[in-house]
Amino acid sequence: MLRSSPLLSLFAFLLCWGAALVSAVSTTGNRLLAILDDVGEKENYSKFLGDLESRGFQITYETPKSESLALFHLGERAYDHVIFFPTKTKGLGPNLTPQILVNFLNAKGNILQTLSSSTTTPNSLVSLLAELDITLPTERTGLVVDHFSYDTLSAPETHDVLALPPPVPVRNDISPLFSAGAPKDALLAFPHGVGAVLGPREQLTPILRAPNTAYSYNPKEQSEVLDASDLFAAGQQLSLVTAFQAINSARLVLLGSAEMLQDKWFLAEVATPNGGKPVKTFNREFAKRVSAWAFQELGVLRVNWIEHHLNEVTAVNESNPHIYRVKNDTYTISLSEYAYDKWSAFSLPANDVLQLEFSMLSPFHRLPLSLDKSQSTPEASVYTVSFKLPDQHGIFNFKVDYKRPFFTNIEEKTTVSVRHMAHDEWPRSFVISGAWPWIAGLGATVTGWVVFVALWMYSAPPTDKKNKVGSKKTN
Amino acid sequence: MSAETLQVLADVGKGKSTRGVLRVIILALIAGASIASRLFSVILDPWFNFRATKYLVANGFYNFWDWFDDRTWHPLGRVTGGTLYPGLMVTSGAIWHALRALTIPVDIRNVCVLLAPAFSGLTAIAAYLLTNEMTTYNSAGLLAALFMGIAPGYISRSVAGSYDNEAIAIFLLVFTFYLWIKALKQGSMLWGALCALFYGYMVASWGGYAFITCLLPLHAFVLILMGRYSTRLYVSYTTWYALGTLASMQIPFVGFLPVKTSEHMPALGIFGFLQLLAFLDYVRSAIPSRQFQTFLWLFAGGIFVLSLAALVIATSAGVIAPWSGRFYSLWDTGYAKIHIPIIASVSEHQPTAWPAFFFDLNLLIFVFPVGVYLCFQELADEHVFIIVYAVFGSYFAGVMVRLMLTLTPVVCVAGAIAISTILNNYLVAKTPTEEDQQAAEAAEKKGTKSGLKSATKPVVGIYSLWSKSLMVASMAVYLLIFVMHCTWVTSNAYSSPSVVLASRMPDGSQHIIDDYREAYQWLRQNTKEDAKIMSWWDYGYQIGGMADRPTLVDNNTWNNTHIATVGKAMSSREEVSYPIMRQHEVDYVLVVFGGLLGYSGDDINKFLWMVRIAEGIWPDEVSERAFFTPRGEYRVDGEATETMKNSLMYKMSYYNFNNLTLEEAFTSENWIIRIYKVKDLDNVGRDHISAAAFEKGLKKKKATKKRGPRVLRVD
Repeated sequence: MLRSSPLLSLFAFLLCWGAALVSAVSTTGNRLLAILDDVGEKENYSKFLGDLESRGFQITYETPKSESLALFHLGERAYDHVIFFPTKTKGLGPNLTPQILVNFLNAKGNILQTLSSSTTTPNSLVSLLAELDITLPTERTGLVVDHFSYDTLSAPETHDVLALPPPVPVRNDISPLFSAGAPKDALLAFPHGVGAVLGPREQLTPILRAPNTAYSYNPKEQSEVLDASDLFAAGQQLSLVTAFQAINSARLVLLGSAEMLQDKWFLAEVATPNGGKPVKTFNREFAKRVSAWAFQELGVLRVNWIEHHLNEVTAVNESNPHIYRVKNDTYTISLSEYAYDKWSAFSLPANDVLQLEFSMLSPFHRLPLSLDKSQSTPEASVYTVSFKLPDQHGIFNFKVDYKRPFFTNIEEKTTVSVRHMAHDEWPRSFVISGAWPWIAGLGATVTGWVVFVALWMYSAPPTDKKNKVGSKKTN
Repeated sequence: MSAETLQVLADVGKGKSTRGVLRVIILALIAGASIASRLFSVILDPWFNFRATKYLVANGFYNFWDWFDDRTWHPLGRVTGGTLYPGLMVTSGAIWHALRALTIPVDIRNVCVLLAPAFSGLTAIAAYLLTNEMTTYNSAGLLAALFMGIAPGYISRSVAGSYDNEAIAIFLLVFTFYLWIKALKQGSMLWGALCALFYGYMVASWGGYAFITCLLPLHAFVLILMGRYSTRLYVSYTTWYALGTLASMQIPFVGFLPVKTSEHMPALGIFGFLQLLAFLDYVRSAIPSRQFQTFLWLFAGGIFVLSLAALVIATSAGVIAPWSGRFYSLWDTGYAKIHIPIIASVSEHQPTAWPAFFFDLNLLIFVFPVGVYLCFQELADEHVFIIVYAVFGSYFAGVMVRLMLTLTPVVCVAGAIAISTILNNYLVAKTPTEEDQQAAEAAEKKGTKSGLKSATKPVVGIYSLWSKSLMVASMAVYLLIFVMHCTWVTSNAYSSPSVVLASRMPDGSQHIIDDYREAYQWLRQNTKEDAKIMSWWDYGYQIGGMADRPTLVDNNTWNNTHIATVGKAMSSREEVSYPIMRQHEVDYVLVVFGGLLGYSGDDINKFLWMVRIAEGIWPDEVSERAFFTPRGEYRVDGEATETMKNSLMYKMSYYNFNNLTLEEAFTSENWIIRIYKVKDLDNVGRDHISAAAFEKGLKKKKATKKRGPRVLRVD
């Protein structure tokens, strides 16, 4: 079976070779730009940044005011990923306008943006988030508090350090990327954070939602009374950590609390008001996973190869033909998932299904693809389905449209033509039993005519000649 | 010049064999002239036929027959092999192979370009043969050949490069008629079979074969009504019908239509009627009884009425398909405009304007009735054919511009009969004497023939040399003017190809506007090979052939709904059009815009037809009325209606040249062709309006205080 071209295997080889050089690397590149007010601030995040560097990222530090700062160089991306730490400046300057940032996303660059309740969010980033249908509190300094699940050790009075269990997926068909393998009593510290409200856009998914009892308020103006009509948002409508994945799979993560990433909170212990004993925060692992997701190290899917062919014993089993006729057909797709440093077989989340559409204008078939164990390897899983093409000629697409939160968008369209039956592909008339009376009639007519002609030619001329001659003359 | 040489020259034309040689030479010259007059300018036009021919030559006949074309009518595709008349392509393919076999390496393109002129030469010869069956004057045949060769009505469809079905179909039409007359005159099965053979070729070549299918039975029917039933008629008709119908059913596109549709029913009905008549004729000859005869005629009439009733019932029950729309529009010229806009939208399906008759036929249109009158004088079976053909041809030519083509042959034949009769009477050197006149009068008195008054022959003979020379001279002048007119019309009106526009600069020099080819070349070089182009169907074949890109709709208008979909996309707001274009995987939209140049044949001019066709399918979503101002005017200026201004077509043509879902990709030199690229979905999930506003730097309005309840996100 033709599966991969030599070029593809060479590419795979180079990929493995490249992977061997660096212990781990993102699938889209390792040039990371960190934007901070003051390069000295990075000391606060030394463990987080150290983790990133140990995963193979090359970090460049810049301040927004820097003249040399440019996301694009000669029309190409100069960096693969950008991380925004909170800055005190209100504008980010001409090098980081929201238009440039959207173009960065369009060019498959990834952004990790952090917020803090103590600093204002730059206009440019607010506009960018507004384009993605993410709304921040009006005053840009909303603070999330929860009087039921705060950290009793660090904020017994202010209740503005939230202590939350690692996030579970919002739907049961979403892969639990961020909580898998966490200890049962693990707690996340979310200190002095900002919550965002998400629009209904399908590209948005909350990674961490506030608990039902949390709400957001402005400590400067609303410290005493918070009118219901002035409430920004409360409960699960507040998204503390948000994932955005564009159509081209570029990712943006909005982290409500920059402090989460600081060394202080990586090492701290937290306890909940309901009397649990203090535990070390889960922040370091969570930060690793969130940054890994944002920078295309987690939840990255790859289509290795696609194959479709006639599923017939008699037919010439050509692989990936351009034209089909109404016949049985097999479609196979191979998928791999990337996690930090290696590609492995992709297994569907429980309750989810991978579907194949066979469509012209609208789907004629929508079929679940099933795992084919015989072709799968530890590096790639193979999904396949066999079906009969519809009795309709036209230009059809084999379409796998697998778009799930936290996974790279897969939209694979393979165009084939389905032709009509050729004139010599129908069963011959003598095979069809219904045609036998007609064939018999044909035979009878032919025989009858031949017999008649023979009789006519060999019978003696009639004796009454006058009559015959007369009738012939009229011709 | 001495009298002796004159005498020699006159003697040359007297011998029988010399005359034969002369006739052959004259015919050859006429054929040459008819080819030459079609070579004013050469541009291959119906690109689809050329593309199909190339496919045939490259892949062989069987692959051509089973050809599924996935580069037209995206995404439906077209079963091309089964939905075209293959005669034209097979003819040029056969010629190409024959030339190759003769070791003449010729490009298939050259065969295609020169096919129509070559066949026009054959048509001239066919017209000669047909006319010779009508009259004993050989000059009539030669004149008919000449007329046929250069009549603009026929040239309009057969200039070099006009590679359309009509290129060979007119020859087949005339030749089939000739064979029919031959078969009828001789009552010959051989000629009838030949007639059927060429009829089959005609069916394989042109949808207009139905004209023959209806005209021959009509001729037979008229003959029967005139009491001219004969075994000759029986033999020729039944041979033609049986073999011809079998032949026509071999064409995949025709298939079972000859036994299923109303257009073909007259032929079948007359076939049955003839069987009945033959049977009755036999019985009558066997049992000679007057009363029995009357009874039999009643019986025949009864059967005819019964079968007619059966036909009507079968049609209404749906067993036989009713008359197709194109045929209804032949009876009621307003029918198509109301019910089938797609047919009415084609300019050649419009009723003919009166000047067109003079323009296309010139002198012949005056002598044509004379020729028909002369046919009444003779009124043999073949003359009845000319009369029937003349009546119906004239009617149809008046209904549809395109059918001027089918009228032209009979006009040429009748005109030639008339002019040759005039010339034969006046171009005689001998003056009749008293004896001749007395003999003629005696003959007239003796003849006691009843019947039509026009059928009685008058005295023949012109006395005055003066009237002879005047008549002949004026006739010669008319003929010369005819030739000049034909040349002028051909070079000016029918030799300007549609893809290249020619105009005159103020100083009189010619200016060539070549925007179409420029744009098609751009498409060919700058777009993906499978980029789908949406345009109105007029340009489908050209895009497919010259730009080699898949199209949504083309000139083969087989799927009205698909065309209406394109019409809807063009005539709706962008919000409606964009999903349609996405669904059909459109990459580029092509419009023709004449606003800059004042070119009237642009898409805005055709726009109402798009609206009408779309309205036919989606009356709730598209309304023609909304495109007219309250005063009922179709305007594209400042007073255009809102619907008009917001339609995609208008926006692509005029409206601030800025679209939200489309971006301009190419505009040709004179702006005639504008090509737009369909934008992708926005990467971050916005709609195109806010994405465009954001690009311009407009700040998003913050919905700070929302009215009404909060919109909650549900995960």
